[in-house]
Amino acid sequence: MEKKEFTKLCSQLKSEEPHDLSKAILPIVADYRRKRRKKKLPVIWLETNDSGDNNIAFMNTTYPYLGEVFQEMIDLLYSNTFMAAQGPEALYILEEAVSKKRGKFILVVEGAIPTKDNGLYNIVIQTPNRSITALEAVRWLGQAAKHVVAIGTCASFGGPTAARPNITGSVGVRDVLDRQVINVSGCPVNPDWFVGTLAHLLMYGEPELDKLGRPLLFYEFTVHRHCQRRSYFDNQEFAEELGDIECMFSQGCMGPRTSSDCPYRLWINHVSWPVKANTPCIGCTNEDFPDGSTPFFTPLPKKSSQKKPGQKGEENE
Amino acid sequence: MSKQKIMFSPITRLSGLLSTEIILENNQVREANISSTMFRGYEWIMLNRHATDAVYMTQRICGICSLAHGAVASYLLDEMYDHDLSENAQYLRNIMLGADFLQNHIRHFYLFSLPDFVQMPDKPPFHGQSLTDARLNPQDNQRLVEHYFEAVKASQESHQILALFGGKAPHQHSFVHGGVTVAPTADKINQALSLLRNVSEFVQKCLMPDTELIARVYNDYFQIGVTPCRLLSFGLFRFGEKNEKFLWKGGVLEDNQLTFPQIGLVKEDITRAWYEKEKCEVYGLEPDPYKPEGYTWVKAVRYDGKPFEVGPLVRMIINGKYNGGTSTMDRIFARSLETLLITELMEKWLKQLQPSPPPLNQKEIPVKSSATGVTDAMRGALIHSATLEGEEVSRYNVITPTVWNFSPKDQYGQRGPVENALVGTIIPRPEMLFTVLGRIIRSFDPCMACATHILDCQGNLQDKVVI
Repeated sequence: MEKKEFTKLCSQLKSEEPHDLSKAILPIVADYRRKRRKKKLPVIWLETNDSGDNNIAFMNTTYPYLGEVFQEMIDLLYSNTFMAAQGPEALYILEEAVSKKRGKFILVVEGAIPTKDNGLYNIVIQTPNRSITALEAVRWLGQAAKHVVAIGTCASFGGPTAARPNITGSVGVRDVLDRQVINVSGCPVNPDWFVGTLAHLLMYGEPELDKLGRPLLFYEFTVHRHCQRRSYFDNQEFAEELGDIECMFSQGCMGPRTSSDCPYRLWINHVSWPVKANTPCIGCTNEDFPDGSTPFFTPLPKKSSQKKPGQKGEENE
Repeated sequence: MSKQKIMFSPITRLSGLLSTEIILENNQVREANISSTMFRGYEWIMLNRHATDAVYMTQRICGICSLAHGAVASYLLDEMYDHDLSENAQYLRNIMLGADFLQNHIRHFYLFSLPDFVQMPDKPPFHGQSLTDARLNPQDNQRLVEHYFEAVKASQESHQILALFGGKAPHQHSFVHGGVTVAPTADKINQALSLLRNVSEFVQKCLMPDTELIARVYNDYFQIGVTPCRLLSFGLFRFGEKNEKFLWKGGVLEDNQLTFPQIGLVKEDITRAWYEKEKCEVYGLEPDPYKPEGYTWVKAVRYDGKPFEVGPLVRMIINGKYNGGTSTMDRIFARSLETLLITELMEKWLKQLQPSPPPLNQKEIPVKSSATGVTDAMRGALIHSATLEGEEVSRYNVITPTVWNFSPKDQYGQRGPVENALVGTIIPRPEMLFTVLGRIIRSFDPCMACATHILDCQGNLQDKVVI
């Protein structure tokens, strides 16, 4: 498949079934790899400071399911979550992967990076002699990787781990690496965004990114733009409380300044999303999530973030 | 033979990051220092936020047991706002919580624990497995490997039940204070039932027989990783207009005496944890990663001065559904048994759920400024406790199941349950060390993302919880 067609498939708004993209990815990648004799993507996955929700989100991928991603798309060489090896043997596997696949592997980082106290708030591996902090590991692996992918909002921008008062001095991966980081943000990530980004990396290299480093394939438009309840907004019909069927702007919805394709991508085998559940979008893909979104149920103009001038975050619409 | 100090790190296949230092002498574990190496300071993050932010914010403590935090935060807010829960809200909430338990338990057994007993295919992410004590015959082994990948789908479908009602998972949106924001429509109920039938079939045809097979082939693990029988549960599946009834009752079991848990007896100790008693305005504590005697971010939580084990095994024993010991294999077995029981309960609840508008009734103003919410989460007893000033949080405490099971030594040198399970273990051959330790540790279903918690030194928990 040509890149142009793939891009179209990722950003299509309407289809017979909402999982056209994820259903299509596996055959496209398999076909591509067969024709060009390309190997799977070597991936090193580093878990740092987060809730572990992004590896759970990844387990929730459907069409392709997790086993198919392992089979056809990636060689997951190191992952604290999935690997069978443990202890010093796991560390050995990591070191070997870095030396053998230097300049070829994709580094996936899940979680924010604490920087205070030399990063001691997150130690990824301890040896008899020393502690390897997330800060050290991400710098070591980051300079050896072909591409760096931050999965989830903590790894992308700091996220809930870096929420005020941020006593661990946590930051996103981009702030500790002097290179391009592909930010696949979300709390958690939607598995389609992540698997779609992997497919793009495998077939066409780095995808086109927005100014926050996110693939335009999935983050080009605001939630508000394609929201099923947009007509309520345009007609000024607002929900009076959670559970109502009208526009959730009155209940704190962040849709107007949040970029993602949730309204038509949907979640967990594409069954629902927060607004369909009669609650507001809380802007979990944003650079300033969660501080820019709280109080969650207060309308956007009255949120705490709006009171402080100079706060990070963009106004899209 | 002289004493050897061995570092087991990283302990993979769990949520978060975990290490343990072991002292080995004459092939026996003499001492264990279990170490959670990540700290996020979540209680500080909750400060000065609106009370009703608690459900969505605290779910982000943990990705694998997300809704347990959302649920207990909802119970806490229900008490503060004096909500009345409709019957439909009660059923729907428990269906959603049950679905999150199913995905957790299925994922734990297959994705995390199975490679401790089954020879996985030698390709990523299973390469370099070095299972030094593989005992299954090739046919059984192959079948269980196939079930690993079927479990991927069954756990995804469990999460799909949650997302059908909750909008997404992890970190669902509709289970909030005052009820549930989603209408349980006939089509949703039927979709959920159909998904549940797939999951139930998997549990009956794969999880239960696979658990029995592993328990039979590795039956020596009924004698390995045994903990002192001190068990604690707060109860699970809250019903009633005021969340006042627990379907599975809580209890404290010690010396064959079962008593009701009194929250006021819960205390924490920071002797070996990376905290210092400094002048911190709210908590009277500061993290100190350089503390020489510290070895973990988990504090030593004690009930009436003693360490207690929590988890599915404890719930099953206290509720008379499992009659066994407190070993590695008992913990594994009880978790599978609980999974089966939850699928049966969920089917019943889904049939009792009446199609209706969203079962939600939220009040505007809190009538109580301080409350404590409890439930059992997937891994055991969970407490959220909060104090408000107006409608803003001035103090928020979380004590997770991980803090009970993975507790370090306290000022009296008492070990926590995991350390107790490790100490005394005999390692038959040196190359089996990590295999044996890994099996024992994973039977507790470690989740270190949950290890983030604080309890202030001066103040204690509210002792008003009715259990």
